[in-house]
Amino acid sequence: MTRQARDNRAPEETFEPYEEHRGIPLPVLWIAIALALWGVVMLFQSHSAADSGITRRASQLSTQTGQTADAGAALFVANCSTCHQPEGTGISAAIPPLAGSPFTAARPEVVTQILLHGINGPIRVGDRDFNGHMPSFASVLSNEEIARIGNYVRKRFGGQPPELTPQLVARERERFADRGPWAGGAEIAGTVDASLAPQPPTVPARIVPTDAATRHLVNDGRGDAWACASCHGAQGQGNEDVPRLAGLPAAYIAKQLGDFSSGRRDNDSMRVVARALSKREMAALGRYYERLSVPSTARPSLGGDLARGEKLALEGDWENKVPACFSCHGPSGFGVAPTFPSLSAQHPSYTARQLADWAGGVRSNSPVQMMEKISGRLSAEDRRAIADYLATLPPVPARKPTPEEASNANTAR
Amino acid sequence: MNRIAPLSILALGILAFATLLLVIVPGIQINTEPPTPGLKPYTAQQLRGRQVYIANGCVYCHSQQPRSADQAPDDIRGWGRAAVASDYVFDRPHLLGTMRTGPDLLNIGARLPSREWQLTHLYQPRAISDWSIMPAYPFLFEVKDKAAPGDVVVSVPKEYAPRHGVVVAKPAALDLVAYLQSLDRTMPVPAKAIRDDGYDNDGVGK
Repeated sequence: MTRQARDNRAPEETFEPYEEHRGIPLPVLWIAIALALWGVVMLFQSHSAADSGITRRASQLSTQTGQTADAGAALFVANCSTCHQPEGTGISAAIPPLAGSPFTAARPEVVTQILLHGINGPIRVGDRDFNGHMPSFASVLSNEEIARIGNYVRKRFGGQPPELTPQLVARERERFADRGPWAGGAEIAGTVDASLAPQPPTVPARIVPTDAATRHLVNDGRGDAWACASCHGAQGQGNEDVPRLAGLPAAYIAKQLGDFSSGRRDNDSMRVVARALSKREMAALGRYYERLSVPSTARPSLGGDLARGEKLALEGDWENKVPACFSCHGPSGFGVAPTFPSLSAQHPSYTARQLADWAGGVRSNSPVQMMEKISGRLSAEDRRAIADYLATLPPVPARKPTPEEASNANTAR
Repeated sequence: MNRIAPLSILALGILAFATLLLVIVPGIQINTEPPTPGLKPYTAQQLRGRQVYIANGCVYCHSQQPRSADQAPDDIRGWGRAAVASDYVFDRPHLLGTMRTGPDLLNIGARLPSREWQLTHLYQPRAISDWSIMPAYPFLFEVKDKAAPGDVVVSVPKEYAPRHGVVVAKPAALDLVAYLQSLDRTMPVPAKAIRDDGYDNDGVGK
């Protein structure tokens, strides 16, 4: 009876399920083998990526330090020719010529010292007097690079054999380690090479005193404002996205402080500081930083294409309606007071950040919206390239005090 | 379940293989890496500050690992170059962090070196940026009627200043700021240092 009541659709109760041995299907096996092979290939590929990364960095380093074949000529074009002109002719009444100049034919120490310290004073080249105003390259060029430029200039314009070596440059660097720019041709003739005389008399250095209140504001701050130096550095040299202030036009600094205070330029920390300052203090701080001349502490750090940056700075990119930076900001990016700030030796992440801010509408306080339009036409790579290139330039040379400041200083003394 | 033994051996084998390739080999590689030239060990005060940093959970909102330019625009933000293994030689344990609710701090000592700014900001972030969502840390400070000699007085804008007296930093705040000031990895990296080169195998970088 029980047997009859059983439902025939149900499986046999004594049935034990089992599986026969079946090998992995061939397609699955092939896929597994293919994946394994792919893994091995990727391992080798990414290994070669690490190697090519190292090679690339090494080659970048060598182009940056200019260890290519004709480095002297390339360095001359990059560092000297904006002022002294590609043919070394100078600019009449403004920039002394190199071609035929007794300085290029003098002892090798002369060119070395001029490159290392720059000039700020009267200098006689041939039968003409110039108001010398040359930056110091000590902080942006290595001994090797200075030797190459020096040899190139002395050979091409003075017909001299290559006598500069990195060792000689290192010795000359040591010799006057802490000095500022040469105060004109007379000092060079008196110290380095007497054959360069006669030179126009050097005007004694006029130090314009800074009032104690401004110095206090810069170095110690006040209850309602942090010290400028606590972020921008003891000498206004800046770091990363804290800008270098040394050598910026006084009027530019005062305008930016005013814009921070009114909100035209947006920066939380600077707004706090600027709101604590009076108009008079802003102007005094501008004058303080304009007069500072400190070595460059900026280095290219964004991986930008330096050659592209140089092209944009010198020639611009007219297909994209981008004018040359230097057409407004002055040769070598030294700035044109009062409106155009100096760009040379500025920290690359600050420069790139500002360009990105102009383009994105975060910063919009330039006269006639010029920087907003130009930055908007630059690609992110171009912004990196320009910022890195500007960081390779020497800092602004020490600015001469205006006659008015000088007379004030003299009466103060 | 049958064939337990081969299954568990296989599972253990896979685990051992992964541990070897993902933990042991990189560990050997990284342990031989010298510190980035120019990187200094932390001082006693900076190490105390590091403990304050850990105790207050800064790492939950702040990373310490700037990325390379093809991953994020950290270099333009001023957060510094991409970090490499040798930057963390003196950090045990490292405080890389995963969240970026706030900015990356590995180079805060380079881009905001001001002790005064840091103190004001820790006392009340809103005093500087009214939109900031960072918590204030008033318990690292004390309000005194008059600053004693040697006290570090914090500059606080009027809206946020206590009605009477001055705000003075406690030692913990000073230690923390000393640690923040020491976070500076802007020195250049040797070309041979271990780093992530991605899959960029054509040798043309961005």
